[in-house]
Amino acid sequence: MKTMRILRRLAQWTVFAIFAFLFLNTEYKDNDVLPYAVNLFLRLDPLVAGAATLAGRAIIGLVWPALVVALLTVALGRFFCGWFCPLGAVIDVADATVFRKARRKDAVPVSWRRYKFLILFFLAASSLFTLQWVFLFDPISILIRTFTVSVFPALNLVLHQIFDGLYRAPGSIPRVSEPVYGLLKAHFLAFEQPVFRTSAIVGLLFLGILVAERYQRRFWCRNLCPLGGLLALMGRFGLFRRRITEAGCTRCGLCEADCRMGAIGGDVAVTDHGECIECMDCQAICPEEVIHFSGKEGRRPAAVDLTRRGVLASAALGAVTVPFFRVEAHGKAPDPLLIRPPGALSEGEFLARCTRCGECMRVCIANGLQPTWFEAGLEGMWSPILVSRIGYCEYNCTLCGQVCPTGAIRRLPLQEKRKVKLGLAYVDRSRCLPWAGQSDCIVCEEHCPTWSKAIVLKEERTLTPRGDWKMFMKPYIDEDLCVGCGICETKCPLTDRAAVLVTSRGETRSTGVLAR
Amino acid sequence: MMTGGCPFSRRRFLQAAGGAAGALAASALFPSVLRAAGEKTVDVGVSSAAGPAERARGAVALVGGMKAFVSRGDVVVLKPNIGWDRTPEQAANTDPEFVVAVAEMCLSAGAGSVRVFDRTCNDPRRCYVSSGIKGAVEQFARKNRVGDALRIYHVEDRKFVRTSIPNALSIKEWDLYRDALEADKIVNLPIAKHHSLAGITLGLKNMMGIMGGNRGQIHYRLSECLVDLHRRVPVALTVIDAGRVLLRNGPSGGNLADVKSFGMAFASRDVVAVDGIAAEKIFRLSPRDVGHIGKAMESGLGVSSGAQIRIVEG
Repeated sequence: MKTMRILRRLAQWTVFAIFAFLFLNTEYKDNDVLPYAVNLFLRLDPLVAGAATLAGRAIIGLVWPALVVALLTVALGRFFCGWFCPLGAVIDVADATVFRKARRKDAVPVSWRRYKFLILFFLAASSLFTLQWVFLFDPISILIRTFTVSVFPALNLVLHQIFDGLYRAPGSIPRVSEPVYGLLKAHFLAFEQPVFRTSAIVGLLFLGILVAERYQRRFWCRNLCPLGGLLALMGRFGLFRRRITEAGCTRCGLCEADCRMGAIGGDVAVTDHGECIECMDCQAICPEEVIHFSGKEGRRPAAVDLTRRGVLASAALGAVTVPFFRVEAHGKAPDPLLIRPPGALSEGEFLARCTRCGECMRVCIANGLQPTWFEAGLEGMWSPILVSRIGYCEYNCTLCGQVCPTGAIRRLPLQEKRKVKLGLAYVDRSRCLPWAGQSDCIVCEEHCPTWSKAIVLKEERTLTPRGDWKMFMKPYIDEDLCVGCGICETKCPLTDRAAVLVTSRGETRSTGVLAR
Repeated sequence: MMTGGCPFSRRRFLQAAGGAAGALAASALFPSVLRAAGEKTVDVGVSSAAGPAERARGAVALVGGMKAFVSRGDVVVLKPNIGWDRTPEQAANTDPEFVVAVAEMCLSAGAGSVRVFDRTCNDPRRCYVSSGIKGAVEQFARKNRVGDALRIYHVEDRKFVRTSIPNALSIKEWDLYRDALEADKIVNLPIAKHHSLAGITLGLKNMMGIMGGNRGQIHYRLSECLVDLHRRVPVALTVIDAGRVLLRNGPSGGNLADVKSFGMAFASRDVVAVDGIAAEKIFRLSPRDVGHIGKAMESGLGVSSGAQIRIVEG
C-alpha cells in the first residue's frame, strides 16, 4: 500500500524540479521574450489570485490557472499542500534532514492551527478594502522572493568564491575545476552576481519558517499558512478522504503519531479533512492496511476549532487596519525616489496587485529592480523600486512586464515600453565634473539610450576651482525625451552619489498618459 | 573628489607632467633619433569593396595579408566593438560579417585559437545578441566545424589582472583583461563613429574594451590613458569597419538618420596611422585635431606624421 506515498513523493520532487527550472529560467537568455511561463506557480495560487482580484477590483486574466487549483481542491481536498506546494517540499526536506531527530512532543498547542484561518480572514477583509497584505504570508510569494533576493544570490556568491579560488590555484587544479565551472555558469549560476536590499532579513524570515520545524512538523503549514487555510476550507468536503475500515484497526496509534499535519485527532478513525494534506503516510505505514483514501465518508471530522468571535475579530481587524494605512503621509507626498518598473499600474492599483514575489527583480537584466523598505510605506514593503545607482532599466528590455503574475506591471510591447517615463533625470551641477569645472566627462550622454539623446552636451565657458575660465562640455537634460531609465545615474563615474540622478517626477503611470 | 584611481592626485600629475616634459626635452635634444625611428613608412590599406566581408579581406590583403600578422599556432584576440545594445544598422558596433571575415582570415593564416570578446556598456548579453556578432561568429564556427578554435565569450571579472604600465603618462596601473595580456596577437576591429568626448572613435579608443574598473574615470584624461593602454598592450593589426558610419550622437547612437554609408575599410599594423587616415577620409578631420590621435602621434606610439604613411588603395 506504499504506492500512493511513492507517487506523492515523486510529485513533490517533480514539482520542485519544475519550480527550480522556471526559477533558473527567469533570466534573459539571449531571447527578448522568455520562452517559458516562469510565473506559473504564482498564477496557480488561489490566495494570490483572490487577493489581487479583490484588492485590485479587476478580473485578472493571467491568474486563470488558480481557478483550476481551486476546483481541484474542492474535488480532491487539500492535496496541494502535500503533493504540490514547493515550500511544503522544502519544509519536508528540512524535516527529513536537519530536524530528523528533533524531539517535539506537543510543543505547540493544537489550537494554534486556527491562526492560519484568522490570518486568512484578516487578509480577505483587508483585501476587500483594497489593502493587499497577502505577500507577507503567501507561501509561493515567500519562496520565490526568498530565493530571488536571498538564497540564490548567496549561493551564487559562495560558488563563485570557490571556483574563483580554484581558478587561481596552482598546478592542474583549474584544468579540473574550470569545466565544472563552465557547466555551472551555463546552467545554474547568475550571469552577474545579483545583489538585493533586504536580502539578509528576507533570508532570516525564511529560516524562521524552517526552524519552526524543530517544534512541530509542518509548523508553518498547520498554523500559519493562509493558503493552507483557504485550501482547507475549500477541500473540507473533497471526494478524496481518509477512511478506516474499523473492523481491522487495532488502534495502535501509529497513524496518529506519524501524521505530519496532526490531522488525525482523538480517535484514529477521525480525520480533520481540512487539515489532511493527503500525503498518504498513514496509508503506507498502517500495519493492518485498513486505511484508505476514497470518496466514501469516514467518521465525521472534528469541527474546525474556529470561534465565531475569532473569525469576526480577525476580519474586522483586517478591515479596520485599512484607513490607518491610507492616512500615511506618503500618499500625499510620495518618496521622490520611488521609481516603479516600466508598465507599472498607478500606485494604488499597483500595490493592490503586487504580490512581492520578486519575479521582476529576478528577471531585471541590470539588477536595478530592488525590494523597497519603506519608500512606499509599510504597505508597499518589498514591492519593486528601480534603484538606479545599483542598476538601470535597459531601454530594449521588456522582461519585468512578462513575468508579473498579476499584471501589476503590464506586459508592454517594446515600442510602447520605450515611451514609458519612469521619472526624469536631473544634473547635480555642484558635483557634475564639467559643471563644477573639474574635468571633462561625457559618460551620461554617451550612455543615454533614447534616439534623440535626452542628455545633450553644450560646450560652455566654466570657472574652474583654480579661478580660470575653461571650456567644458556640460550635460543638459531634455525632459521631453528623458524616460528616466537611470543609466546615466548608474554609469556616472563619481564613485559615491551620482551627479546625475533620477526622481519620479514626470512619471507617466499615474496619469496613464504615455509620453511622446 | 574621487577615491582610488583618481588620475588627478598631485603625485600622478607631477609624474605625468614630468614625463611629458621629459619627452619634449628628448625630442628637442635628439630630434635625429626620433626621425630615424619614424623614417620607415607604414602601409595603410583602404578598401572600398562591395560588402563588409570583402572590404575586410581587401584591406588586409593590401597590407600584406593576414599571414604577415598572424603566425601558425598563435592565440589571437579579436577585439570588435560590441559595446552597445544596438543592431548592425544602427552602426554602434562592428559589423558582424566584418568580424567573421577577419576571424576566418586569422584561422586561414594558421591561428591556433581566435577569441572574440568586448567589455560592453549595456548588458553584455543584449549587446552580444543585438549586435549580431555572437550569432554570426557562432554560426560560422558551427558551419565550418571550428568551434574549438573560434570562440566568442563574455568578459568575466575574475579575469582582470591589475597590470602596471611602465612610464605611463596617466595610468600607472589598471585592471586589464588576462586573455588580451596573454594573447600572441591582438587584432583590433573598431567601427568608425562619432564620439561625443573623443570627437571620433577608431582603433585607439576601441581597445578600452580590454580595460576593467571604472572606465568612466578614464574620460578625465582620455588621450593620455589611451597612449598608456596601447604601450602596454600593443595590437598587431587594426582593421577599421567604416561601412556604415555613425556621424552624430555617438558612440551609442540609435537613430538611423545619423548613420551614413561609406562602404570603406582601413587596415594597418600601426593603429595611429590607420586612425589618422580614417579620420581624414571619413570625418574630414586632420588627425592632429583629434585629441587622442594627436596625442598618440606626439608620444611616438606610432607614426608621428602623415609623411610616414603610404596609402594603398584597392
